[in-house]
Amino acid sequence: MSIFTRRGFLGASIALAISATALSTAALAADDYPNKPITMLVGYGAGGQTDLIARAAAQVMSEQVGVPINVVNKPGAGGAVAARELQQADPDGYTIMFHSNTVVNSAPFIMDRVDFKPDDFEYAGMITAYQVGMATQKDAPYNNITEFVAWAKENPGFSYGALSPEARLYMEEIAKKNDLDVNIVPLQSGSEMINALLGKQVVLAFSGGIHYRYTDELKSISALTSFRHPSAPDVPTIEEEGYPIAMDSRTVVMLPKDTPRAILDTLSEALSAAQTAENFNKVAAASDIPVMYLDVDAATKEMNDTYTKNKAIIEGASAN
Amino acid sequence: MDYLIIGFQDVLNPVTLFWVASGVTLGYILGALPGLGKATGVAVAIPLTFYLTPVAALGMLIGIAKGSAAGSAVSAILLNTPGEPSSAPTALDGYPLARQGKAQKALKMGLYASVIGDFLSTIVLIGLAAPLANYALLIGPVELCAILLFSLTFIGGLSGKSMIKGLIAGAFGVFFATIGLETETFVPRMTFGMLELDDGLKLVPLAIGMLAVAEMIIQAGNLKALDAETANIADGSSKDDREISHSEWRRCIPVILRGTVIGSLIGILPGLGASVGSFLSYGATKRASKTPEKFGTGMIEGVAAAESADNAVVPSSLIPLFALGIPGSVIAALLIAAFILHGLTPGPLMFKQQPRLVADVYAAMICASFIMLFIGYSGQRIFAMIIKVPLRLIIPGVLLLCTIGAYMETGSVFSIYVMLGFTLIGFFAKKLDFSFVTFLIGFVIGPNIELTFRQSLQLLDHRFSNLLHHPIALVFIILTVLTIWWLGWSSSVANSTPKSVEPVAQPSAANQDIHKKREE
Repeated sequence: MSIFTRRGFLGASIALAISATALSTAALAADDYPNKPITMLVGYGAGGQTDLIARAAAQVMSEQVGVPINVVNKPGAGGAVAARELQQADPDGYTIMFHSNTVVNSAPFIMDRVDFKPDDFEYAGMITAYQVGMATQKDAPYNNITEFVAWAKENPGFSYGALSPEARLYMEEIAKKNDLDVNIVPLQSGSEMINALLGKQVVLAFSGGIHYRYTDELKSISALTSFRHPSAPDVPTIEEEGYPIAMDSRTVVMLPKDTPRAILDTLSEALSAAQTAENFNKVAAASDIPVMYLDVDAATKEMNDTYTKNKAIIEGASAN
Repeated sequence: MDYLIIGFQDVLNPVTLFWVASGVTLGYILGALPGLGKATGVAVAIPLTFYLTPVAALGMLIGIAKGSAAGSAVSAILLNTPGEPSSAPTALDGYPLARQGKAQKALKMGLYASVIGDFLSTIVLIGLAAPLANYALLIGPVELCAILLFSLTFIGGLSGKSMIKGLIAGAFGVFFATIGLETETFVPRMTFGMLELDDGLKLVPLAIGMLAVAEMIIQAGNLKALDAETANIADGSSKDDREISHSEWRRCIPVILRGTVIGSLIGILPGLGASVGSFLSYGATKRASKTPEKFGTGMIEGVAAAESADNAVVPSSLIPLFALGIPGSVIAALLIAAFILHGLTPGPLMFKQQPRLVADVYAAMICASFIMLFIGYSGQRIFAMIIKVPLRLIIPGVLLLCTIGAYMETGSVFSIYVMLGFTLIGFFAKKLDFSFVTFLIGFVIGPNIELTFRQSLQLLDHRFSNLLHHPIALVFIILTVLTIWWLGWSSSVANSTPKSVEPVAQPSAANQDIHKKREE
């Protein structure tokens, strides 16, 4: 049924070509991929950081593969709603998803009803990394976690801003290890987090990277990633300071399971062009988002590795 | 000031003015169409502006936001279906006026109130963005919680005939707002395992269902009577029905100014939005009136109050964005992306690094206010003819637009189901005379109170005495107590039912806790 409705949109000649390929195997269909517009799902609302990166990437990829790539926003449950829809799509490369890889590598351990595994999808590459970190006011008397812990012991009952379960986990682990008395203030968005920091409501907050825009007022004291942030190369990672709980997140192009490898390679190659595309770099730089391209194999490995690591971290934390 | 003159020189050319005007026109039409709103308009238009100069692009986007806030009054007045949730209070008195043959008068007042509110708020933005934004930072969760608590007392003034029914509706609003992930433990509440409900019910499909679709169904059930009535409506037979008289202007000017102040303040505070502004302004005007019982029957002040505040929110919600780089509303969050793409990073540095572009944007905003006046004035004659179109022709079109609007909010059919579900609730609420106004206030303010209350508990280190460090919050808590006492006193004098005092404080669990805290 869906083939018929989709056919309705195409001209007669293309419809003939498709009916020929529809009969043949998926591998054969990959030969002339792509020959019609591609739908790119984004699991966040229009206008957010990831959405803008997705749109810029879609533009580059569309120029590379020669067909339009339409961005469709399907917000809900941190991307799980869109990912579930992707799971049910045909593995023909015409429905793809651009999202943070957290939807696969940490959402399953945080949300009861999400049970994605890395094997449930194929990955056509990763393009940017999130500079997740701990942010505070510029004039705060600590520059890393160790100094912060020392300060916090003198100031019990301090307030920490958290906008996600992961954000709570980081502070709970630090507090547990050092026996700190912390009040975790729930925040609902990046802008609320900035507000709480600028208004000095909290002494420290978890940030998805947006705080790098406020270089005059805010600073990082820790990178919650396994690598140091390009925007603040002098700030140590949380792992360097003895807490092996860094959880990396990157934007990834996901496809339904069993999509032919040739299609993944086509998309991966198109995505790699974003590294040098002027407009894409402009959008990424405007939001301090580092471009770190990974190809199909590297992306799949990254997904598997972070899945295993995050599972151990999150389940280990909740077991205590 | 010098820069502003340069700004006008940059903006006052045919090309830029054309794009600003198209933005305002597009926004006005989107706003007037029930279901399609400003957030949709701005989000869809952002990619279109890639090819324009920064001034034209930003002017167009702000024009859409401004225009739709004004346009939403049109359908509220003519069809009783607000184009945006924030114009719901406009319909309360605007629609009765239209049915009395005074559609043009109501439309004019809606337009003038919109333009004045918008213009004055733009001036506030230009003149006071930097100093005001720093004060806004002083308003933390503790202060916000107290302010919201105070604003809940307005439910009492907006409940219509029965305060008990108003409070029940408000409690239901709070209840529906609790659906979704809880903010501290992230436990899903009442989602029945549906991932679509994790982020909670969205205001747009809910409001479209309750306000627009339910109204269309009620009117469809009443077709014969309404058709007959429509045939009898002689639009503007006398000049009095078309024009706003001097005495009406005298009554409305203070109302508009109050609405502008309320709207501007609500805009500066983070996360509240235009709906809160217009409801509060309507409530405040009704309370201040000498004849509050006449509200809802076609009081021109009601239209003026709601529309001035609704439009004043839009420019002032850009104050935290311009001065600090913090988006204070959905529109501002969308604009932040557009600003960055066009080379203007919102925040304090923007004034130092790009003073000319900032001045251009300011000039474009002022131009948009005047363009809005012009477009609204020339459009309202055409719009007013809608009242003479038989409803059987209007209803299918409105239903189609509502469905599209609900779908576009999340890009999923689930939103349409939400819309239909709330159509049912809205239908019975109307038939049984429960106030949808208090329902919406509960729905919009309830979750904000819960969040800020939980934040306050953490920030105050769970100690009541720490509240002494928050004088602004204390003032609002005292005001709340006085208002409840006054409401109880006046209603017990009026109809000796002192029972109605207590429920004011009970629309939400969080709210109750606040009261407990205060009593400690």
